[in-house]
Amino acid sequence: MSHENTIETFADQVKAIPGGEHLEMCYSCGTCVSKCMIQQKLEPEYNPRRLLRMVMMDMRKEAFESPTTWYCSQCDLCYPACPQEIHISAVIAAVKQLAVEAGYSTPLSTVSVDESLCAGCGICVMACPYEAPHLIQKEVDGVMDLFSEVDENRCMSCGICVAACPLGAISRKGVSNKEIIKQIKVKKQKSIPSLVIFICDWCLREDDDLSILESYPANVRVIHIPCSGRIDPQMALLALRAGIDGVLVCGCRPGECHYQHGTDITTCKMSLLDTMIDQIKLRDHRVKFVQIGTQERGRIRQEIDSMLETLNARKEPH
Amino acid sequence: MVDAARQSKIDLRAYTEVERVEGFVGNFKVTLREKAKYVIADRCNGCGDCSSVCPIEVPNYFELNIAPRKAIYVPMSQSVPLIYSIDMDACIKCFKCVEACGPLEAIDFSQEDKLVTEDIGAIVVATGFSHFDPSVMEEYGYGKFPNVITSMEMERLNNSAGPTAGNLIRPSDNKNPQKLAFINCVGSRDKRFNEGCSNFCCMYSIKNAVLLKQMNPKVDITIYYMDIRTPSKGYEEFYDRARKMGIHFTQGRPSLITEDPETYNLYVHSEDIALGEVIEHEYDMIMLNTAAIPQPDQNEMSSVLNVAQSPGGWYMEYHPKLRPMDSPTDGIFFAGACQGPKDIPASVAQGSAAASRAGRILHSKEWEIEPTVAVVWPDRCVSADGKSCGLCSKACPYGAVDYAKGKAAEIITAKCHGCGACVAECPHDAITQLHFTDAQILAQMRALLAEEPHKKILAFRCHWCSYGGADLAGTSHFEYTANERGMRVMCSARMDSDFIYEAYRLGAGAVLYSGCHPQDCHYITGQLIGAKRAKRLSTIFERMQMTPGRFRIAWISAAEGDKYARVLNEMQAVLDNMPEEQLLEEIERLKPEVTKRLRRFPNVPGVQEAMDFSDTMVTAITTKESAA
Repeated sequence: MSHENTIETFADQVKAIPGGEHLEMCYSCGTCVSKCMIQQKLEPEYNPRRLLRMVMMDMRKEAFESPTTWYCSQCDLCYPACPQEIHISAVIAAVKQLAVEAGYSTPLSTVSVDESLCAGCGICVMACPYEAPHLIQKEVDGVMDLFSEVDENRCMSCGICVAACPLGAISRKGVSNKEIIKQIKVKKQKSIPSLVIFICDWCLREDDDLSILESYPANVRVIHIPCSGRIDPQMALLALRAGIDGVLVCGCRPGECHYQHGTDITTCKMSLLDTMIDQIKLRDHRVKFVQIGTQERGRIRQEIDSMLETLNARKEPH
Repeated sequence: MVDAARQSKIDLRAYTEVERVEGFVGNFKVTLREKAKYVIADRCNGCGDCSSVCPIEVPNYFELNIAPRKAIYVPMSQSVPLIYSIDMDACIKCFKCVEACGPLEAIDFSQEDKLVTEDIGAIVVATGFSHFDPSVMEEYGYGKFPNVITSMEMERLNNSAGPTAGNLIRPSDNKNPQKLAFINCVGSRDKRFNEGCSNFCCMYSIKNAVLLKQMNPKVDITIYYMDIRTPSKGYEEFYDRARKMGIHFTQGRPSLITEDPETYNLYVHSEDIALGEVIEHEYDMIMLNTAAIPQPDQNEMSSVLNVAQSPGGWYMEYHPKLRPMDSPTDGIFFAGACQGPKDIPASVAQGSAAASRAGRILHSKEWEIEPTVAVVWPDRCVSADGKSCGLCSKACPYGAVDYAKGKAAEIITAKCHGCGACVAECPHDAITQLHFTDAQILAQMRALLAEEPHKKILAFRCHWCSYGGADLAGTSHFEYTANERGMRVMCSARMDSDFIYEAYRLGAGAVLYSGCHPQDCHYITGQLIGAKRAKRLSTIFERMQMTPGRFRIAWISAAEGDKYARVLNEMQAVLDNMPEEQLLEEIERLKPEVTKRLRRFPNVPGVQEAMDFSDTMVTAITTKESAA
């Protein structure tokens, strides 16, 4: 009796890629699905549990076309939550690798590089959590030089490189510098201080919290960005220059960032900005960065209220 | 329990711990620590006057610390025997209790722990289980959110004798919750904490839900589950009843609980597997069905009793299917969840079985054991000459070797289970195992390797696992090399290095050293001894520059017939890949070295005779065949 199977199944292929090994341990409890926020916030069809099932059932085409394959940003919130200790994001990455090899490409709208501005400095390469941009030698307008090129199948559209690029050569539709700056506008009222909130798309888990944001009057402006790492400290300064009293930047708690370490990058940026604000002797507490954890329901309201209170207190003596 | 206390033949020792267990089946000497109660048992009538005057209040362990108790207390109102005791860590020695006790004079502050030794015929272990502490699972917010409680806490709240007299209230605002959720498998079926299923929680959560629904049909109850396991008689019907009562069952393991900071209401984030959608529902209170885990002192008790533990930490039974109530040590039995999580009917069944097993020992004058016990030749034991050795005593998983310097080691036959670990470990070959003597094994080996030994694979299998694996490979018709020659011993611990050397001296092509997986060993730690030896042997052969694969170690369970076949085929492939001359040359090259290591072997009683005898037999067979 021979037990050899010469035809390699889809599951075998996935398991052969490092990280995909424990695939068949999945007992479909759904922890990963509800731990992840993509289904609620971005794509209703997103479901890692089903993708694992598709791999096990040899549904190659369906898996390659599934949004799960392409939308997972490898944040690894699901891995420590999985009771079967399956490295789910690694399994998804393995499926994605096979999908790319099979000629599929990402449905996400990714960043693009304006080669007329790119200086080939490589800062975007260092900033990207996904190793999507890389420098290549190529000829543009008759000049042979180093340029940044983005692998669109790796790019998750976090916009960290857009913020990092010193020349503004990288942009993404919807969150380009111009589009964000255009939103920094507040209708001023004398009695209440004005506030601009930059909020990452992922740090508020519940609909309740999102509706809190809408409950403030027009003097509080909410600007949605994909990741707090998308924030350029200049934007905060621009807001202050425009006469706005305060800027609040909200990101995820360290370790819970949807784009791996976007929130850590913001921590660095904001501490530099603090030093700078100190040096130019601007009044303190006008720019604040808060990191909100997934379990901190209602914290956004506390943060905004306390910010408004501080700004109010600052205003009163005048 | 009250009946047990009234029965004249039952001697109930409350507040007493087992310190030491010596001896063997029918003749145990058990040392008990009778802890000081500071109350004289014969005088206390359980009136409770002392407790009512005691000014000290500490958390009540029995009420899961949701209610207080006094420093002089009984664990619960139904305690048997109903005798108070003083918690000296809490007592401030105001002596109000002494006053209250009055003429009874039951309180005695001078009491001390007492050690008593008893003659015991058989022991039944019924130490039960403990609960997993869910506060380590941050995602569920137990300990952080007041309205997330465990189901055990809910049981106390819902108990008419409990701290709230049966009024189920939620801790944050003492209101009666209207929307409740149970979460199953908290810390169980979870590789991060406890891999196993806790067995009874599905039924337990359904029971609790039904109870709550009966008390107040208006409450809305949801049970979050991964799988509902209702395998016993009538259980599925009970599950149906719960559904008919309007209890909601949602398949999906919640990944997160969040709390509204104002109302203290809770939100469960989970996938509804049936819908394939993430759902977020609001609840007043959430109960976690935590995993059943072994008692915190299970490890210490297992060394006191000398019984093994299964991978999860539960006590290990003699045989998982055929002898689930017996421990590997004769005369010690298990009842209930100490051996593995189980529900009430299963615990009762196991307890009754254990009791009848114990009764059988108490009623018999003689006790039958396996005949394959070890025996010492006192004249060969070096310990008799005043040398210190004691390797046999260290190897024995049952503590059956009575070893002391200055006298020959002795095997307590009643404790010996016949694994043969001491026999193989003894460097002076002073111990033998009945029915598995060195001479018998040797004779078998020589017969198996009589012809063309270099083509043969000698497979040492342990009786309980790898032998069963080989058997299964046969009955399942898994094809494996016909050059395999199987040798059965009771345990891998019996596989003496001498046998392996002898096999190579006789020119064996390859040798397999196989036994149980460490957690399956039938002789508690026998496999560990075998594995250690096998590892040492493999280093020696490596140093001798033997072709890798000619000595193979494999741990194969009785259910792994396919593995047995695979291992053997892989070994055959090693031999096939070697040119015959090269193999023969290597065998010849290694012969002097293995012979050197075997220099003491012929001195073992019976071995020389067996060698001579088998040589004549082998010669007789081979000449007869060649003549034919």
